[in-house]
Amino acid sequence: MNSDTIKTNVNPLPEYSSCSTCGINNEPMLDGNMQREGDRNEPILRPGNTNCGGCGMSVILNWLSLAAGSETRLQMVIPACCGIVTPGKFPNSAYGLPVVASTFASAAAVGTGLAHTAELNNDNTRVICFAGDGGTYDIGMATLSAAAERNEDLLYICYDNEIYGNTGGQRSSATPLGAVTTTTQFGKDVNKKDIVAIMSAHRIPYTASLSIAHPNDSLAKLKKALAMKGFRFLHVLSPCPTGWKSEPSEGIELVRKSVKSGLFPIIEIENDEVGETLTINIEPEMCEESLRTYFESQGRFKRGVDIPEITRGIERNWKSLRLRAGK
Amino acid sequence: MSNLNPKANLQFISANHAAAMAATLAGRANRNARGFGGGIYPITPQTECIEYLSKQDIEKGSVVRVESEHSAMGVCIGMALSGARTFTASSSNGLSYMAENVFAAGFYRLPMVMMAVNRTMGPPWNIWVDHGDTLMLRDSGWIQMYCEDNQEVLDSILFAYRLAETANILLPAMVCQDAFVLSHTMMMTDIPSQEQVDEYLPDLNLPHRVADRAVTVGGLDFPHETEAHRHQHHDAMMRVFDVYKDCQVEFKKVFGREIPDPVVGYKTEDAEVLLVSMGTVASTARAAVDSLRDQGIKAGSVRLRLFRPFPHLLLEKMLASAERIAFIDRNVSPGMGGIMWSEGRVTAPKDALVQNYMIGLGGGDIRPEMLEKVFADLLSREQAGPPQIVEVGA
Amino acid sequence: MKKSFEVRLHGRGGQGGVTCAKILAAVYAHLGHSVQTFGDYASERSGAPVRAYTRVGNEPITNRNKVYEPDEVLVLDDSLLGADTLDGLVDGGALLVNSPLSIEVFDQKYSTSTAPFTTGVIDATAIARKHGIGTRSVVIVNTTIAGAYARIHDVPLEALKQTYTDLGLISNFPAALEAYESVEYRGPVDGAHVEKHMATQVTLPEVEQIIDHVSSSGTGLATGSWSSQKPSYVENLAPCNAWCPAGNDVVGFIGALETSEQAAAEILGQSTPLAAVCGRVCPAPCMEACNRAEYDGAVNIRGLERWIADTIPVAVKKVARVSNAKRIAIIGGGPAGLAAAYEIAKAGHAASIYEGEKELGGVLRTGIPVYRLARPALDQEIENILALGVEAHCDEFLTANRMAEIEAEYDAVIIASGLQKLRGLEVDGAQLAGIEQGIQYLHRVNLPEDGKSPVESAAIQGHVVVLGGGNTAMDCARSALRAGANKVTVAYRRSFDEMPAIKEEIEEAGREGIVFAMLRQPVGFSGTDNLSGVVLAEVDLGEPDDSGRRRPITSTRTAVMDCDAVLLALGQTEDYGLLPEGWELPWGSERRVTAGNRGEILVFGAGDIATGEGTVTHAIGSGRRAAGLALAALSAVDVNDVPLDETHIFQRPDRTTAIPVTDIRLDHFARAQADTEQTIDPMQAVKNFNQVNNGLRSKQELHRCFSCGHCTECDTCLVYCPEGIIRRLTDEGTPYEVDYSYCKGCGICVEECPRSAMEMSS
Repeated sequence: MNSDTIKTNVNPLPEYSSCSTCGINNEPMLDGNMQREGDRNEPILRPGNTNCGGCGMSVILNWLSLAAGSETRLQMVIPACCGIVTPGKFPNSAYGLPVVASTFASAAAVGTGLAHTAELNNDNTRVICFAGDGGTYDIGMATLSAAAERNEDLLYICYDNEIYGNTGGQRSSATPLGAVTTTTQFGKDVNKKDIVAIMSAHRIPYTASLSIAHPNDSLAKLKKALAMKGFRFLHVLSPCPTGWKSEPSEGIELVRKSVKSGLFPIIEIENDEVGETLTINIEPEMCEESLRTYFESQGRFKRGVDIPEITRGIERNWKSLRLRAGK
Repeated sequence: MSNLNPKANLQFISANHAAAMAATLAGRANRNARGFGGGIYPITPQTECIEYLSKQDIEKGSVVRVESEHSAMGVCIGMALSGARTFTASSSNGLSYMAENVFAAGFYRLPMVMMAVNRTMGPPWNIWVDHGDTLMLRDSGWIQMYCEDNQEVLDSILFAYRLAETANILLPAMVCQDAFVLSHTMMMTDIPSQEQVDEYLPDLNLPHRVADRAVTVGGLDFPHETEAHRHQHHDAMMRVFDVYKDCQVEFKKVFGREIPDPVVGYKTEDAEVLLVSMGTVASTARAAVDSLRDQGIKAGSVRLRLFRPFPHLLLEKMLASAERIAFIDRNVSPGMGGIMWSEGRVTAPKDALVQNYMIGLGGGDIRPEMLEKVFADLLSREQAGPPQIVEVGA
Repeated sequence: MKKSFEVRLHGRGGQGGVTCAKILAAVYAHLGHSVQTFGDYASERSGAPVRAYTRVGNEPITNRNKVYEPDEVLVLDDSLLGADTLDGLVDGGALLVNSPLSIEVFDQKYSTSTAPFTTGVIDATAIARKHGIGTRSVVIVNTTIAGAYARIHDVPLEALKQTYTDLGLISNFPAALEAYESVEYRGPVDGAHVEKHMATQVTLPEVEQIIDHVSSSGTGLATGSWSSQKPSYVENLAPCNAWCPAGNDVVGFIGALETSEQAAAEILGQSTPLAAVCGRVCPAPCMEACNRAEYDGAVNIRGLERWIADTIPVAVKKVARVSNAKRIAIIGGGPAGLAAAYEIAKAGHAASIYEGEKELGGVLRTGIPVYRLARPALDQEIENILALGVEAHCDEFLTANRMAEIEAEYDAVIIASGLQKLRGLEVDGAQLAGIEQGIQYLHRVNLPEDGKSPVESAAIQGHVVVLGGGNTAMDCARSALRAGANKVTVAYRRSFDEMPAIKEEIEEAGREGIVFAMLRQPVGFSGTDNLSGVVLAEVDLGEPDDSGRRRPITSTRTAVMDCDAVLLALGQTEDYGLLPEGWELPWGSERRVTAGNRGEILVFGAGDIATGEGTVTHAIGSGRRAAGLALAALSAVDVNDVPLDETHIFQRPDRTTAIPVTDIRLDHFARAQADTEQTIDPMQAVKNFNQVNNGLRSKQELHRCFSCGHCTECDTCLVYCPEGIIRRLTDEGTPYEVDYSYCKGCGICVEECPRSAMEMSS
């Protein structure tokens, strides 16, 4: 591809703002603010990676690249997960930034180390931990919790595909109720953990959930989280066509449905000396059709889910979120 | 204290403190480079070391109080990869919990130093000395040294940095000391000045430091890459023997003290009967040797200070004259016997009688008389028997 | 069976290659052989090339290596076929490939016709897809191709079936059976031999040390080979474009308006010279078809068209005459005639319009009141047409003789004289004073006698009843209200839904105070000399008729509605009185006129007289088609060679191919009300004939356009592409480039395209 033919817009990067009216306004960046001056010379995730087609993790890495721009010095820690298999074989890599592969449970600890050296040397480097749900909800929980408690200067991004995808699809504590995995053949019989609630309970400066169907909101959050100091936690629902037994092309739409139905709340929680502020970034339409088709279009829910029960759960969750949001 | 030797900066301290002081000095010495740090986590009998360390104000240093040994090593890996000099300490079950990341640090070839206090693996819980914990990590790609006294602990930490950070080595090093017998035992220790340490330890310049270049540290190795990386790692280990000597010479030059050889002999020149041991048992063994020599028995003692890389040739030379050799292991690999014996027995002369004794397990107190009994048993044997556990009581 | 042999499978992650190897092994185990099967496990994902192996023997198998010299090779995806798939395949061995090609084509394409091994080809993907094995994008072919394998290698079907049962795959057995029956294969070519390229590595490359590893380059892994489905950018038909009878590129001009009015006007000028007119009076079928209509209201396309035309004249300026310019006469200066003249002039030929009235414009001038269509706008657009060198001969109503002269004088003639015959009512009292044809009334309104204002010219008093439901009825009713009527009632025999008038016109009439009497059929008039009332019968609605509207059935329940005047707006029909003897004008299209024994002559119908479609926009489209046909006929060597149902200027698009709203990703668009024009308050409006609708305040309405089927460079594909391999280009016409060498064919860009301007294809 000849880079000379790429259009670049000389305008400075715009301030991404989340939708002002409602969650439906998702037309991504009609002003064409991708591929402009200020983009990274190399994307965070290079083509030639071995992620499956339609992988949600790839999307969020691309947006992270966009949000960071060329000015931000980044280092990334990735524990055992698809994310550390995707770069391919030594010494080549599909990552266009410095990446450290950590042991499964250690992302937040290794990240802490990188961040401390960076701080000691005024490197002005932003350290990102990029982990799956297994490395976050399960094996990495203690490490993550401790790093959050210490308020390390880390941006922790959990791309949650609700499954141990790298090992072929076993249940994790992020697997939702009813999902069939290779270790829950009749569908999982317990709910997933509420990681955003868990992390915000650490009173860290910033906790947010990101939808890959809502680029404006997500880019704004990524930029905000990159700029902040202290521990920031971002939760991204990441479609896994292989594990979800869904069409690769429909991943974005699945996330959109999960947002529209209220199943996946798009919120952010900020903590400062005054206290906690919970903001609902995208108002769900509580769309029943979206909820139903969300489950129907994924083979992992082939054993059926109890929609009324799930709806009650969604309502309970939103009731408490609204209480916390004060509206 | 200084009245004991006006030239030295002698302090009456435990070996835990000695290690922590050495780490502090080494850490400060990197202040003009990328700094110093590590993750720390308490475990008896190492806790005093990290307590001491956490009280120090180290210029360009950052000691992180983490939630587990696993994360302590995780932080060390992160800091080391970004170029800092790093240190941590642990023991026993802490080491086994840390183990996964110990291997990671090894295979990433990060020249960090860890002080390990040798303690019995539990449960049942036992806080006293046993070498089984660090020996469990013998294949993690780390250099391992076992010390005999407080001064050696302090010196070995400094020495380990120098050795580990040498450009053609770049391997992590573990400095091991016996629980309580050293860790909590107070002895006069000569504390070097910062200037001396600055001179001995040049700024760390890690070639594969993670900076801004796009590099994926620890992605995927296919079989051939792993073959090559293990090959290179092994070769680096084998270079340690030569570099060790250089570091000894430099050490003497800067500090005026000797760093013991990888294998330390005592009255071995004409010895017919030899005890081979590691750690503080070697001191006790020397007392037993003296006692036997008084009885006209040509006894000697060999201390294995360097366990990884394993100094086969040096040990072989040391054992050359022996007719009877006892490997005194303070560990047991159940179903095999002593680990040192199982690795070291090949270095014994072909026709020598080699017997393995495992003694002082779980912190059993090894008095010289007990080693004299071992000598007696060794001398009385017509042939070697199976590895033998000697119970010594409290 | 051979004593022992080895099988190597080449597939893509997700196709089930490892399971396929397992099936083969299980079959042979079932037959009593020693077997071994295993896959190559690595980091590759769905779609990446993978290998699996099966070993079969009669003795216990001790070899645990991968297979380097296979006796049999199975290739689950023909895109994998190449040197390394055939690596080491022994002479006399067998190759089985999943491919849609017939064996002849396959042999030719892959040069296997001279191969020393058996070659088999089966379209396992098609069979597996038919049997619903796998997902739409990842079809699992393993159980299917195993059926083909069984046929080639004489595996008993019973053994195969038992194996499928044992492995829990029996539901896939029908697919295997179909493959068993349909596989094509041929034996090895005797004496042939191919060089084997064994991939045994002699000297290994040096591996960089961990401590020397300070930067990396990309993997270079061409993941584009993982899928045969690729996205591309396409232009699809937008419903507005499909429905515009005039053939305007609606999506195009709205898109261009974002840049400038000039750019938009240029696009409009390609299809119409009458955008200011249509922007005021068009019934806008485009807006009815608009995909936004059901979502939050159609885009106000008419308003935008007017915005453009009121800013910049849309008609092209100055066209050089072609050297062999043809002369074409156009009968009728209404919208069809004007559009035809415009097209002819635009093509560099000479057009002459014959118009009966004093000025051009036809119904635009005589029929449509000025409060709807301000005359300066009409005059300006006619002037622009004339500026292209179009001649106008006005003030002469033609006779059949004159028509024959004109036909002889010109190279071709287009008859666009409209519908001149007015429908009346043949009921009691139809002759009473006070009953007038609406068209004639409007003529008085629009073309006042010298010195009179419209109000004076069209003065009318008391209660006026307008009979009819079309635009003429609305124009009459609203004009009457302005010209002095106390009260105006529109009586129509069907219901509101069936009224042919423009919806907005009906609504405006209602706002102005017009009363509607629906389902009323006039059956008589009362009065002696002068009209005093109209007798209206109630109408019941029956079954739908051919037009889909419910058939009105006049009942016997009648009532007299007192009134002072009645305006008849019951429709018009074609008047062929100006056609010379023997001429026949075909109905329903712009085809050529037949003139007795002369056969088809170069005379074409256009507009209402040809199609009766009744709107300005239809008339423009018809005029364009007639002009196109005439020019095509004139430039043809043999006029009979010209397919006269096609024209190079404008063909009606196939509306069934227009993008339906279900193909629009509505989530990408915020709901927003349509921007409406500034209008005069109805109570004020009825006081005079001033223009009621004063157009949009701004062009912001353009942002509501979905741009169905037409890429707007919105970057959605870029934003969502998981591989980050879509690049914006500077070249005009190709907004984006997809790097196919890496595209994994996930289809997210196509799925997410808000406006259906992308598609997946093989």
